[in-house]
Amino acid sequence: MVWSPDVYIYPFLFLALYFESFLLVTFLSKPARMRRLKTAELSVVPNVAIIVPCWNEETTIAGTVESLLALEYPKEKLSLILINDGSTDGTPAVIDRFAEHPQITTIHKENGGKFTAMNIGIEHAKDAELIGFLDADSFVAPDSLREIVAAFDAPDIAAVTASMSIHKPITLFQRMQYAEYSLSITLRHVFASINGLYVAPGPFSFYRRSVFTEIGLFKHAYLAEDMEMSMRVQRAGLRIGNAIRARVYTKGPSTFPKLLTQRVRWTTGFLRNALFDYRDLLGNKKNKVLGMLVLPFALYAVVGGISLFVYGLYQTITHGLHTISMAQTVPFSFLFSWHPFNWFYLPFTITTLLGAALMLNVFVWMMLGKYLSKTPGKLVLNIAIFIVLYGIVAPVWLIRSVSDVALGTRTPWR
Amino acid sequence: MSFFARNALIALGITVAIAGTVAYTVNYLNRARITELVAIENQLSIDTLSLETQFSLLETAPCDSVASSSVLTNELADLGDRLAYAEAQLGKNNVQVMQLKKQYSLLEIRDYLITKKLAAACGAKPVTVLYFYSNSGDCSDCDKAGYALSYLNTTYPALRVYSFDYNLELGALKTFITVNKVQRALPAFVVNGKHLYGFTSLEDLEKIFPKGALASTTATGSTSSPQASSKP
Repeated sequence: MVWSPDVYIYPFLFLALYFESFLLVTFLSKPARMRRLKTAELSVVPNVAIIVPCWNEETTIAGTVESLLALEYPKEKLSLILINDGSTDGTPAVIDRFAEHPQITTIHKENGGKFTAMNIGIEHAKDAELIGFLDADSFVAPDSLREIVAAFDAPDIAAVTASMSIHKPITLFQRMQYAEYSLSITLRHVFASINGLYVAPGPFSFYRRSVFTEIGLFKHAYLAEDMEMSMRVQRAGLRIGNAIRARVYTKGPSTFPKLLTQRVRWTTGFLRNALFDYRDLLGNKKNKVLGMLVLPFALYAVVGGISLFVYGLYQTITHGLHTISMAQTVPFSFLFSWHPFNWFYLPFTITTLLGAALMLNVFVWMMLGKYLSKTPGKLVLNIAIFIVLYGIVAPVWLIRSVSDVALGTRTPWR
Repeated sequence: MSFFARNALIALGITVAIAGTVAYTVNYLNRARITELVAIENQLSIDTLSLETQFSLLETAPCDSVASSSVLTNELADLGDRLAYAEAQLGKNNVQVMQLKKQYSLLEIRDYLITKKLAAACGAKPVTVLYFYSNSGDCSDCDKAGYALSYLNTTYPALRVYSFDYNLELGALKTFITVNKVQRALPAFVVNGKHLYGFTSLEDLEKIFPKGALASTTATGSTSSPQASSKP
């Protein structure tokens, strides 16, 4: 075998393949199968409160509230708490339109950050057995709450997450996120079945009320309060479940700068929580799935993503310079002249074949995520956009995040 | 065994199986490439010997073997392309590839000699280009020179281009280099006996060709080479 820069990439490809193999085995294992088969029949109907913290969400908050009011759940058992966290746009006025609704409580407060709004909501949800949160740019499917409540089927399940997807993706970046979220649906479903989740995301995650009395309220947590709370839940030895058919749609960032800000916030939040405040979870043998697989692989994904990008960039620059050099030597048309197919020249190397196998797996997981969650939308086109864009844009937020954490740079919310 | 440990072990088994299958497939393809190269080279050896025999038999009408010569040189060009690709895939230290490259160089020399004989017997004036390169990292312009020759080969099929790895350990090639008085200043070109060292541009290379040589499109055959034909 000839030496080439490919050799450096083999360990990353092997580990990625291992992760996907583990995903496959666990997907086919009994716990995940049972989760998929579970129906949303409720033997008990608990009191539920849904808290909607909002800051400058005048264009989406009304739709968010209306989707909550349309939930198929007994009205007397469901209350909504809308919290205006010091918005400076028309959000207060929009919220006040719902103030007289019997199921809704509205609260206005000075801006203090999302976690403060969530905590005030918890204090007002005294009668609720289950407390959920929904970002004010997200919308839920009518049957999603029943799916969520049904997933609280064991006393040690402290939290349950939903299946998120992008609401009406229009721009290329939103379409890319649609494919990415479809993959996340499968990942969340599989790892929830073996208690391997380290984040119950803002859109439509629910907690038992007792969780907050046992382990405390939300914290600032480097602007990743949902991730920090989940890690705290895991540290307490509790479980985080998933209701794969509980669909919630969120507005994805439409442009690259907005997406970059969001992802840097998420990634720096993860790195700071996992590496500093919750380092004890890494390698933790009490929860091996999280400590020895999911968290190490999540960190590896950051390093691997950057490494693959550097490798790709090196290859692109090398080939680009070579092509430019050759184009100065012979006519451009000659360089790209058509050649008849011949198997002898098939570019089958370990890198190309393993890379293709990994990508194929990812596409299958995406399609499974969409199919199992019954998420509407056109996935194939969005996968094509994902292929073109993701490898270019994701490394940007990974590099920026690592740099911010290393330099101690403060991360903005928007 | 815990559920996690069981799944982790099964996943490891699947991963090793997939990675092993991929490695086996790549290795199998490379072996198939070598097998095909051997088959082509064996056939070319027979064809070359046949042509030489034909040439000897037809002493009174040697020009009847010109057509066979053209076919042979075209096949030699295809072999050169494949060898270049195999060398890029398997490395210049691969024993089998090097062995095949030596045989290929011998075939080129024999084709060059028979071309000269045919030209003398039939009064033809083929334009022959001997191109010497190095893959050892000591010839920064060899890549460009190779592309330029590939381009000339494709554009002017009447040219007969013979490319040789200057560093190849082959007695006949060393003698060939000595006979043609080629210095170690690579890339080196010998066009109908005229020497040129170094490569600056396609235009400069074209200047050493005989007048009208790059205007004819009459195909009398041309050979490519492991280095010269390595265009994408």
